[in-house]
Amino acid sequence: MENSISVVVLIISFSFLLAALILSFIRLLRGPTINDRIAAMDVIAVIVMAFVLVYSVLIQKSIYLDLPVIISLISFIGTVAISTYLKHRYG
Amino acid sequence: MDKIIISVFLLAGSFFILIASIGLVRLNDLYSRLHAATKAPSFGIFLILIGVSVYFNTPLVYIKSLFIVIFIYLTAPLAAHAIIKSFRDQDPDKRKER
Repeated sequence: MENSISVVVLIISFSFLLAALILSFIRLLRGPTINDRIAAMDVIAVIVMAFVLVYSVLIQKSIYLDLPVIISLISFIGTVAISTYLKHRYG
Repeated sequence: MDKIIISVFLLAGSFFILIASIGLVRLNDLYSRLHAATKAPSFGIFLILIGVSVYFNTPLVYIKSLFIVIFIYLTAPLAAHAIIKSFRDQDPDKRKER
């Protein structure tokens, strides 16, 4: 198609995001406290949103922009819920 | 010309998210890690959304992108504040074994 972005740019962007996903997964696995794991989960949610956005550019469908709205809301609710639970459980 | 702008925005956003993840691994304190993990991913997703909005260029995409940016920039400081507050209220000698 004549309106498409070069695939090389999208593959470089995907590889950046994959490296970021692997690094934050390392922090998720060996975080010393559970708060580090929650922060890593927050970053992983943002990375998944970026994956969906770049993929929507790759396959040229704009309906995929509904997905990051839902992911951002659910990620925030999960983070606040786990933090409130920890504060009431161990505080 | 549009393709160059969109490519630069997508690559810059992915690069900022990668920088945030490197900071999340390499820094050595929870406060420093949240400093890396809160601000840079918000800016990265903002840049990626600018690129995607310029690429599709319809009003519905602009409205959805505005919603995503508002949600991200409202909820990222609140989430970091909740994480840090639950960390500070814990007992310091019981933090290690979990």
